[in-house]
Amino acid sequence: MSAGVLSGDLLVVVGAGGVGKTTLAAALALGSAKQGRRTLVMTFDPSLRLKDALGVGEAALDEPIPVPGVAPGHLDAALLDAKRTFDRLIHTYAPDAAAAERIFSNQFYRDMAGNLAGILEYMAMERLFEMRASGRYDRIILDTPPTRQAMDFLQAPERMMHLVNNRAIRFAMDPWWDRKGGKNLGYRLAAMGAMELSDRLVGRRFLLDVVEFIRAFAPLFEGFRQRAEEVQALLLAPETRFLLVAGPGPDRVPDAMFFLRKLQETGHGLGPVLVNQLHPKPEPGAGRGPGAELLRFLAARDRRGLELLRSLLPGPQEILPVPLEPNPPGNLEELGQLFKNMINTKSL
Amino acid sequence: MSALDRLAERQLVVVTGKGGVGKTTLASLLGRLLAARGRRVLLLEVDPRESLHQALGTEPSGGKIVPAGPGLWLHNLQPAAVIEGLVHEKVPLDYLARRIVESPAFHHFVEGAPGLKETALLGYAYRTLHHGRRPRADLVILDAPATGHGATLLAAPGLLAQAAQGGQLGDMAADLAAFLADPTRCAVALATLAEEMPIQETLELLEVLEARLGLRPDLVVANGLYPVPPEGPGLELLKTRHRLNQAELARLRAAWKGPLVSLPLLPLDRGPALIDRLAQVFLQEDP
Repeated sequence: MSAGVLSGDLLVVVGAGGVGKTTLAAALALGSAKQGRRTLVMTFDPSLRLKDALGVGEAALDEPIPVPGVAPGHLDAALLDAKRTFDRLIHTYAPDAAAAERIFSNQFYRDMAGNLAGILEYMAMERLFEMRASGRYDRIILDTPPTRQAMDFLQAPERMMHLVNNRAIRFAMDPWWDRKGGKNLGYRLAAMGAMELSDRLVGRRFLLDVVEFIRAFAPLFEGFRQRAEEVQALLLAPETRFLLVAGPGPDRVPDAMFFLRKLQETGHGLGPVLVNQLHPKPEPGAGRGPGAELLRFLAARDRRGLELLRSLLPGPQEILPVPLEPNPPGNLEELGQLFKNMINTKSL
Repeated sequence: MSALDRLAERQLVVVTGKGGVGKTTLASLLGRLLAARGRRVLLLEVDPRESLHQALGTEPSGGKIVPAGPGLWLHNLQPAAVIEGLVHEKVPLDYLARRIVESPAFHHFVEGAPGLKETALLGYAYRTLHHGRRPRADLVILDAPATGHGATLLAAPGLLAQAAQGGQLGDMAADLAAFLADPTRCAVALATLAEEMPIQETLELLEVLEARLGLRPDLVVANGLYPVPPEGPGLELLKTRHRLNQAELARLRAAWKGPLVSLPLLPLDRGPALIDRLAQVFLQEDP
């Protein structure tokens, strides 16, 4: 029996795409609520089945809403949407409505809002911070979007800070752009040279869009920078724990190790590693048919994956194997069962 | 005409789908099958954790073009490196090019500019095909990055062409967008699993590709299907999972009338033996 999986006030569930993060986050949240902690689960893009299981719809995009039928205990669910959060943030920090409008109507913003690397992750952090600061919950469980290439969401606050400290921004803010600044001739010539070169490469309109965006955004930078620092501190706080979810089998081990190394390098607190969807051995009496043989192969393959992971983990890191259920959970009872499986399994 | 026949006539095949749905397996499988048709195929992998070589049973690429069987090559490449290469090519002074590549402003630009990295990748594939008189490969298979939406990659050149109108970069992106939109030269193959979320995402992707880009994939492949289990005790998991797979396939079928190939879950590890076996199934399923 593992008690470690639910320690910490803030649990961040991470892992590659398709490993079942969202479902495990929901199961953990339900378990936490039933243990008497007021719990919030924040999730990206849950499946219809899971949304049904939690009984939440589109309304959860704006505000956390209570999951019906959780008794005893209290569980809220919130769905995350990057563009919506970003827009709201701009409304919050913009000095006036006109400044907000300038940003919303900028072409670069419109192209970028959904595309900028890490923006989705950063927005998740924003929402998380808001919820955390509200003091409404004893525990928050955050599901994260799949990031295979990099732990974008860990770097997101830092990247945001870099972006707003960037020299390019100060450069864009410089009045020489208006051609009426008092800069010396040499500086202006050098700047013009750089502009000529970039104009040839990327086109003037694009540059003007970017400059305009940065200028419209400038009044918001201080608020952003401060928030990004706070979010970063929250992620490194001792009561924050990262739960890594890995897929079964040796092929998925490199992904898991990649995440683990990143988390350790950056000094984030680690909880147990959940290895999800392990195939059980066929029951005795299943015979030697192709079905039973396939199941045997899959069970042995998943076992090899566990052993490989165990051998690569540097410390006494706890591994929690989570067996594959025939049906993915479709209601609260099945989610509750998944939680029980999780904590009753023998950890490695 | 089979789906494979049609793919064999193209120059670029983009294999896309979310992480964990067997994209790499499909890319290597198509590489093998198309090379067997006499094409000279270059497989491009973008993930820094290389795995295509495992599927093919060869050495990892390590950022270089390496042979991976008759008529087949493998190249793992990084978008950032491709963009830096481009700067070095466009900026004649080496010193200046280095200054640009090393500046933080450049990094933020690369990270932030909409569609830049994706366009650079597709541009690399394009240039490989049209470089010099006798390029090494006459067909490129791009194993698309696992992050983000498949449509982001394919929409990138059009987006960038629009954003950077009038510059060299914009012109290049516009050429690429036209190349991608040409169904006689480019193809899209979608990998998925017959499970709820992957099928949902596939249906959404099909819709977005059609609506935003007017693209129709040439092939959808459902990977890792649980087989029909023989009657017997203790196989409840297989039976239920098989039923689930079939229900999800039916949902896909209701919306997607184009070529669909289903590949079974086999008791084999990732490697050439698995690819060979899947190739046999593929040819049977794709008449």
